[in-house]
Amino acid sequence: MSALTLRARQRLQLAGLLGPVTVFLGIFFLTPLVIMLIYSFLAPGLYGGVVWEFYPHNFGRILGFADPAFEYFDPVYFQIFLNSLRIALTTVVITLLVCYPAAFQIARLPERWKTFCLFLITLPFFASLIVRLFIWVLILKQTGFINQTLMSLGLISEPLDLIYTEGAILLGLVYIFIPFMFLPVYASVEKIDWTLVRASQDLGANGIQTFWRVILPLTLPGILGGSILVFIPSLGNFVVPAVLGGAKVLMLGNLIEQQFLAARNWPFGAALAMLVMAAVLVLLFLYVRFESKSGDDAPLLN
Amino acid sequence: MSWLRKLGDTSLTTYTVLFFAFIYLPIAIIVIYSFNSDPVNMMRWSGFTFDWYKQIFGFSNASSEAALYIESTEQLLAAIRNSLTVAAFTTTIATVIGTATALAIYRYNFFGKRFYRTLMFAPMLMPDIVLGIALLIFFVGVGMPLGIGSIIIGHCTFLISYVFIVVSARLAGMDRTLENASADLGANEWTTFRRVVLPQVMPGVIGGALLAFIISMDDLVITYFISGVGTQTLPLFIFGMLRRGIKPEVNAIAVMMLLFSFTVAALGLYFRSRRR
Repeated sequence: MSALTLRARQRLQLAGLLGPVTVFLGIFFLTPLVIMLIYSFLAPGLYGGVVWEFYPHNFGRILGFADPAFEYFDPVYFQIFLNSLRIALTTVVITLLVCYPAAFQIARLPERWKTFCLFLITLPFFASLIVRLFIWVLILKQTGFINQTLMSLGLISEPLDLIYTEGAILLGLVYIFIPFMFLPVYASVEKIDWTLVRASQDLGANGIQTFWRVILPLTLPGILGGSILVFIPSLGNFVVPAVLGGAKVLMLGNLIEQQFLAARNWPFGAALAMLVMAAVLVLLFLYVRFESKSGDDAPLLN
Repeated sequence: MSWLRKLGDTSLTTYTVLFFAFIYLPIAIIVIYSFNSDPVNMMRWSGFTFDWYKQIFGFSNASSEAALYIESTEQLLAAIRNSLTVAAFTTTIATVIGTATALAIYRYNFFGKRFYRTLMFAPMLMPDIVLGIALLIFFVGVGMPLGIGSIIIGHCTFLISYVFIVVSARLAGMDRTLENASADLGANEWTTFRRVVLPQVMPGVIGGALLAFIISMDDLVITYFISGVGTQTLPLFIFGMLRRGIKPEVNAIAVMMLLFSFTVAALGLYFRSRRR
């Protein structure tokens, strides 16, 4: 036993603790990502397979140089990409607008109420995602709750088209991602030093100036953190558009799903997924830059 | 000015009430309408019934026989069984690996620590769909059959991170002087770990495990890609039903699932607040 020095024993312990995660994530996380990256540069085979040759046209189909042997460039894929970016951004803005005032109100409640409100906001996060979307299907569909109610009140004579619209997708995304935005925003609202706000007022700033120059910068870390947490899962989302968008509104996630399960063009699907990942990485990179620059510990990574 | 401030206060309060209404009213509606007896239109109230609940538990009766929509209770039960199996295995594996990693990063300084930290955050920040298809390509490439096994592996890849983060947070709040005291009092390393460190970390480990269990039970996207044709989990079952058309029983299933996850989550949060 004593043959093992303290240092050697510590090394052994460390290896024992880190070994499992290294092996597991190495094989089942990093390797699949590398393979996907390689796939995105391979040619699609005839029946869903791949041909092992360098083939940049998967990205070309999206970005503007389609394989001339098969097709002309069709901007539809790039359109879907832009469309998904727009929907994800809109979701971020709406969740922010919805959560921001509520965060201020809850932050000034007495401690007991605060804890209770935070509990109420966290709770839906644990409830099944598909069930929460299913609820909105029942509310929005042609014979759903809203249409039934409005018709029985005599306000409308024909059901409105609520479901299978872009609005329905936005509503679904906002509903699901509210906790993701609320918690980081709330964390920075609670940390606001209100003496600074009072100082700004004493120095003659009006409400709007105080908001822009004092309150907004103080809560910016929370806003950015929440925005990233909402944007990332919104961009590649395929469940919400599949359930609430029907076949009418296509987002990147649905396109990727189609390539894998229906069209069987895996390399193209992999290329689309790489695009989603690239967008996410760029965003995270910018966020980390901001975080290190502002010096303040941003709430996302804590 | 004071009336203006009062107006601001009142509207902010009203707004917050509406905010919570937006979150919880839809849930209330679905709970109420899961007792609606109308078999054709689930959202047109035509009387109170327990039929849909009876049906999912396998007691069908005459009045609901005519509206026997559910494909088969067997399919539903198989899906529930699969979900529980997956969640049980995933929770165990992810909790062990995630806790070990958190301990390693907390206790030791080593080359590559930063890399490991980043690695632990990566699966959480990775969009589901990217991870899902990467795993699909991988499993098909290495010839691993898709099914319960592949789903368990897939869930572990990102749930290790969740456990890691919960346990790390707990470790960060720990009092290190207690360890030194224990060593000073003559306890060896193992005893110190067992008697001092472990009891302090335990709430974090339990919290992480509960979180992993709930998320595993609920995961749809990654499971969707790597489940293969024969295996269904509960979220996949409901997703399938939503795509084919909704049956009244789904209402009852949905309410039961909400009840289940709310109970587990409330328990978890309660324990967390108690043990501090």
